[in-house]
Amino acid sequence: MAAYILRRMVSTIAVMAMVGIFVFLLLRLAPGDPAAIIAGDTATPQIIAGIREQLGLNEPLPVQFVHWALSILGGDFGTSIFTGRPVLQLISQRLEPTISISILTIILSVTIGVSFGIVAAWRAGGLVDRILTAFATLGFSVPVFVVGFFLIYVFAIRTRWLPVQGYQSIDDGFGPWLVHLILPTVTLGVPYIAFIARIARASMLEVLSEDYMRTAAAKGASSYSMLFHHALRNAGVPILTVIGLSFAGLIGGVVITETVFNIPGVGRLVVDAINNRDYPIIQGVLILVSGLYVLINLAVDLSYTLVDPRIRY
Amino acid sequence: MTISRRDLIKAGIAAGTALSLPSVLRAQTAPADARIARMVMGGSLSAFDPYYSTATIAYNHAFAIYDTLFGFDSKNMPQPQMVGQWGVSDDKKTYTFELRDDLGWHDGTPVTAADCVASIRRWGQRETGPGPQVMQRVKDISKKDERTFIIALKEPLGLLIEILASERIFVMRERDASLPPTEQVTANIGSGPFKFNHALAKPGASFTYDRNEQYVPRNEPPDGLAGGKVVNVDRVIWDNIADQQTALAALQTGEVDFVQTPPSDFYSVIESDPNLELQVLDKGGEDMFLRMNALQKPFDNVKARQAMLHLIDQEAMMRAAHGDPRYTGTVTSRWGNSPPYSNDENTGWFKKGGDPDRAKQLFKEAGYAGEKVVILQPTDWAATSNASQLLAATLRKIGVNAELAPSDSSALRARRENKGPVENGGWSIFITGSSDDSFRDPIASAYLAPTGEKGWAGWVKNDEFEALRAKWLDVETLEERKAMAREMQRLWWDFVGIVFLGKSVRPIARRKTLTGLIGVPDFVVMWNMQKAS
Repeated sequence: MAAYILRRMVSTIAVMAMVGIFVFLLLRLAPGDPAAIIAGDTATPQIIAGIREQLGLNEPLPVQFVHWALSILGGDFGTSIFTGRPVLQLISQRLEPTISISILTIILSVTIGVSFGIVAAWRAGGLVDRILTAFATLGFSVPVFVVGFFLIYVFAIRTRWLPVQGYQSIDDGFGPWLVHLILPTVTLGVPYIAFIARIARASMLEVLSEDYMRTAAAKGASSYSMLFHHALRNAGVPILTVIGLSFAGLIGGVVITETVFNIPGVGRLVVDAINNRDYPIIQGVLILVSGLYVLINLAVDLSYTLVDPRIRY
Repeated sequence: MTISRRDLIKAGIAAGTALSLPSVLRAQTAPADARIARMVMGGSLSAFDPYYSTATIAYNHAFAIYDTLFGFDSKNMPQPQMVGQWGVSDDKKTYTFELRDDLGWHDGTPVTAADCVASIRRWGQRETGPGPQVMQRVKDISKKDERTFIIALKEPLGLLIEILASERIFVMRERDASLPPTEQVTANIGSGPFKFNHALAKPGASFTYDRNEQYVPRNEPPDGLAGGKVVNVDRVIWDNIADQQTALAALQTGEVDFVQTPPSDFYSVIESDPNLELQVLDKGGEDMFLRMNALQKPFDNVKARQAMLHLIDQEAMMRAAHGDPRYTGTVTSRWGNSPPYSNDENTGWFKKGGDPDRAKQLFKEAGYAGEKVVILQPTDWAATSNASQLLAATLRKIGVNAELAPSDSSALRARRENKGPVENGGWSIFITGSSDDSFRDPIASAYLAPTGEKGWAGWVKNDEFEALRAKWLDVETLEERKAMAREMQRLWWDFVGIVFLGKSVRPIARRKTLTGLIGVPDFVVMWNMQKAS
């Protein structure tokens, strides 16, 4: 197990390095110039050239890459071209909102999604199954921003129960923190609930048709025991995989929700940075997110051993 | 079915909890304090230094934390701001400025004449304005004592005070102002009416400005960018809400008090809300115009550029760009509508609805032979993106082979530096805009100067116009400048430096509890603003 984890950690570093090279080249080859953005719409080429020189953007690409790579190895992700603040500081300011939404969304999605999947499989073909399947299809089909604006209209503008936008740090109190995250979490959770419910239903249906389930029923096992002790554990691996991928995807994929609800998370940070061509921020975020992605996948792989003792590393 | 007493109690508790939930939740999201104003500005503040960046939002930030030597009042007359008294020698070559009492930096140190000298010198290095040209006429700028400085000129410059006011020379600490303008000042320590709150700064999310308790405003009523800058709120927060629909919803619920640039399709919703109001702060508004690449076909031929003047239907362009005709209009003077030099010289090309037949004829006279005309379309700027699409359709109608090149603004700015033909990644037309007031001064709006390949993208050249522009600073009186403005405009519409697409005066949206906003051209200032609970 230890050797396996070590190997995976080494592969994480390799993935981050590859992402770093790819992102660096992609950004430099993409059209756009941070110096032109800083200088403004009416700047002359001389002014833009002066800013480029000052920012070190006139150096050859390999030189820029070596400077940047050496800094990263030294733990320095650079400073934002625009604000002059350290990239790590900017990212750390934005991590709390993104992680908060991601964790709440995954809790909501797993709780409701797995429950829906189990119930739908248990009542396969019946009215409950059809209703839940219809919800899953709808949840998949409706764009996140439509759900978001609908919830804002109902729960913020009409009833004034919840805030439209913004984020309160958990340091300001659990209540304000939670209240600001209810609508974004539900909005973001809808497609994930649908996704997890569908996977859970399919996995459960497969397991419920196994011979050992029929044997358990013949031996007089209760419905609860059959569903949760026998079926769910055996259907757990694909569900865990989906949950892990969903969580990893959430960390880097909450851009639309953060935009609709004006949450200052990592997604907004990187989109703003892309619009401004603020290279150090884009590079820093993508490297860190790729590392996180690999680590979450590792955690998911290790968690398989908890639900299926036959799996060994 | 029976209902036990216990069931009844449980149901009662559940119902009570459910009914009280909205008020509990609402209590967590109470509207902002009456002493705190929350504003959604028309852009994201990404660079703080107004000498480093020309972005409007950087100037809004600068007006909050810095103070200026002079400011224009609402009648466009220069008035002293940080300056207490000033005088000029009999030979009109030496100006002496004395700072008014009680000026202090946010770090607690006093503002000195040395800070002013360094700030003027920094402004003078900035190539986007008249600074370098003015500095050529300056013999020396020096500190006389702690509160007095002198500008000694090589020759008289009657426009000096007007330039000091119109150029909004933000005074910085000497140590900050000693940096070249290509290097950003991020200390954000000024002597203005608001202090930048570094601890609460969340770049890309929100910036917080606290009232500068030590600021001593002039003992005069506020008037444009002049007069007493009295701050009536304790704190102003700029919320960077990227989505306009969310910004509107936040305005409706009172989570924010002000939205600078609501889209025109929201106007009816805002007008129907009894708590909200639209208000035009910048009555001069913004003029939208197109710029052509004068180095490449077909616009290297002046006839093709003149064809564009005749082609444009400004009203249709403004409908496409901004929608609501109540807030749009036409503009024909090279100096814009509101500046004092606005005139009707050589504007015979303007025709309501445009004149496509005349445009077609002029393209023919230019020898247009079906060359591709590439219009750079900024997809992240709705108004100009829409205008670009209408322009392409209008050109196609008269047989011009127009093609849109969509990209974000960043990529567009990079591409427009390409002087080559469209086959090599070049371009033919791009659309942009500038405040009506910015056309007032041919020295300040140097980017529009027809200096050819050394100048702004488009590279149009006209030496006759440039000769007149060089004399602008020497002209003494307003009447003489008005006469010169007519002559310059005659040339301008002959060689066609730009083509106007129309003007818009976009209203801001605010809650009715936020009052006292001062209307100034192009910018949003926060002094005098009041918020009722």
